[in-house]
This record gives sequence, C-alpha cells and structure tokens, in this order.
Amino acid sequence: MSAMRPELPREFVASHKRRRMMDAIAELTAEGGYEATKIADIVRRAAVARKTLYDNFDGKEDLFLSAIDTTVAEMRERVEAACTEAETAEGGIVAGLEAALDFVAEHPAASRMCMVEAISATPSSARLYDAAVRDFVELFRKSAPEGDDLPATIEESLVGGVAWILQLQIRRGEADQAPELLSELSQFVLSPYLGVGKVVDTGRRK
Amino acid sequence: MDRLPRGRHGLSPEFVARNQRERLIAGLTQALYEVGYQKTTVSLIGQKAAVSKSDFYKHFESKDDCFVAAYDDTIDQIREQVVIGCEMTGEEEWPYRVRNAIAALLELLSREPALASIALVEGLRAGRGIYDRYQAAVESFVGLLRDGAPQPHAGTEVPDATDEAVVGGIASLLGRRVLAGEAERLSELFPEILEFTLSAYLGAEEARRIVSAG
Repeated sequence: MSAMRPELPREFVASHKRRRMMDAIAELTAEGGYEATKIADIVRRAAVARKTLYDNFDGKEDLFLSAIDTTVAEMRERVEAACTEAETAEGGIVAGLEAALDFVAEHPAASRMCMVEAISATPSSARLYDAAVRDFVELFRKSAPEGDDLPATIEESLVGGVAWILQLQIRRGEADQAPELLSELSQFVLSPYLGVGKVVDTGRRK
Repeated sequence: MDRLPRGRHGLSPEFVARNQRERLIAGLTQALYEVGYQKTTVSLIGQKAAVSKSDFYKHFESKDDCFVAAYDDTIDQIREQVVIGCEMTGEEEWPYRVRNAIAALLELLSREPALASIALVEGLRAGRGIYDRYQAAVESFVGLLRDGAPQPHAGTEVPDATDEAVVGGIASLLGRRVLAGEAERLSELFPEILEFTLSAYLGAEEARRIVSAG
C-alpha cells in the first residue's frame, strides 16, 4: 500500500482549523461559561496545536469575539436572505423569523455564545451583542410592512422582545425547540401592523 | 457628620440619613453609573457613601457582594414603584393600570438614572449570577402585566409568549437608551412604550386611543 494520501489544499485546512477553534469556544462557553473556559480546553476540543491558536488569534478573547462575529454574520445573512425572498412584507418577516429560529435550533451552542454569554463575558463582547441587536433592528425596520403612525421605537421593542424569548429558550436548554415558537412570535411581531390575533400563515415546511 | 458628596444627581437629605449599608449600596450604584464596573473600587464606594473602607468590610465581603446587594435593592425599588403605579388612583381597568405602572417605572428610572443603569445595563455585564436575577425580575413584571390582561377568546387570541415578549422588549429598549446615555430622558418614551404594550393585546387603534386620552 502506498502511503500517499490526497493532499488537502492548504487554505482549506487553515480555514477548517479556524472553524474548529470557533466551534470549540462556542461549545465550551455554552457548557461552562467564558471565565471557566481555558486555552488548553479549547485546543484539546478543537484538536489543534496551541501554536495554531496563537497563529490565528491573539488569544482567548480574540477567538471568542471572532466566533461571535462570524456567527452573527451567518445568522444575519440567512435571515436577510429569507426576508428578501418573500413576496410580501409580512411574508418576509415570518420567513426571517423562521430562518432565525432554525438557526438557533441548528447552532444551539453558537447561539448561546452570541445571545447569552456575549452580554456578560467581556466589555467587547457586550458591544458586539449590542451591535448585533442594532443590526437586527435595522433589518426589521427595512423589512416590516407599512405601519400606520406606529411609535418610532416599535422595531426596537419588537426585536428586543423576540431576542428575550429566544434567550429564555436557550437558557432553558431548549434551543432545539425554538422553531416551535414561530407562530406565536410571528403574531407578536406582526400585531402592530396587522392587528392582534390575526392568524399568520407561517407556511412552515413540515 | 457623614455626608455624601453631591454628585451630578444631588442626593436628597432623606437619602443621606439612611444607614451605612444603604449608603454603601447607593454609593456603589452611583459609582457604577459614573465610571463602570471595572473602575468601581471599594475606596470609591466608600468615598461616595462617606463610609470608611474598614466599615465597608463590616457590611460586605467584597465589591461583588455589595454589587449583588445593590442589584437586589434596585430591583426591589423598581418593583415597589411599579406596584404602587398599578394600585394608584383606584383604576380597576387593566389598560389604565398598565398606563400608571409604565408611567411610574419611567418616572423613577429618569429621576434615578443610576438605578436604570445598574438594572438594565451594568448589572447584566457583570456576570451570570446577576443575569439570573435580571431574568427573575423580568418574570415578576410579566406576572404584573399578565394579571388582568385581556383573556384570549375566539378570533383574537393573544399568543402565550406575548407577556414575556412585551416585558423583554421594554427592558431591551430601555437598556439600549441607557447605553446611549439617555437614561435621564427615559420618561419621554412613555407614549411609545404604552402604545407598544397595549397594542400587543388590544390592537394598534385601541392602544392609540388610550395613549392619546392621556
């Protein structure tokens, strides 16, 4: 038998390692919190050399912030794509919400890192959380149906409300069931635009 | 005579007369608002409270210990104010109780921005123990809001998550404004927050009617 193995492209290996380290810090902070997470745990979980971590990141906080940044960007991209693809504004809001809930269910640890741990871990991570909320408020404002003389702060309150429900869900350890909230949250966020208790067709794929 | 220095937000004589422990708690809350958690030292707390460092340690084991006490104390003050708002003027009708409670909440937070800051921003940034307290506080307000809220009936079902989402949404909005340095102007948000809250239950039109009726 030849000892030859297919060579993986260098960039692929490098980006795969970065990904593994970011996944590792998400899992570890979700399990034990940011404070308790040590570099040694991260490199072991990611199966990379300590040097690799320091080649890619300045240290634990830099890795943590990069992981948050990457996760938020991915979630935002999915939510925005879903909003844009829909034919109507209310359809867009429901589709965006569905994309967000699916993302949380698919990435429970990364979601916890961004929506729970980030708030109290370090001042910089708290700023990333605040910036992410601001971005989602903007996205909501851009995508919402025409409102008739609604309060100027309505989008902030609605997005804050949805974030809170998701934080509760994540903290209960039930991120995987987040998609079940779609109907209730759709009604909640659309109630100022469409009225209370309007049945929203969430068109959920079963 | 122990005296508290007059800061940006001059403290009332009644306040100064409270006992040492209360003064330390208030001193920490004020220091946190002015310089943030990292720079709030035991010396600074003592200075603000006009209490010596050694007396500080008679009441608290550490800055964190004092901080947790301050957080609980803040939440108690806010809840007390909101409950008074709910019970004020003998209003029986739910929308008017909500109106009074929100007005009372915003009035307190604007008058004492340091309370708004520790409750909604600085407290959360300090660590997980406090986050549990924040969550418990939000939950207790959820209970107050739910009490007497329009019951779901055929055709106009208010989703279960509404109470939690409304209170969480208000807390989030207020926190963002405190972060933006607008704690003293929170009461300006009164009509918007009231409309947001009522419209989740009664619809935008009815909410607007009650808001504009004052």
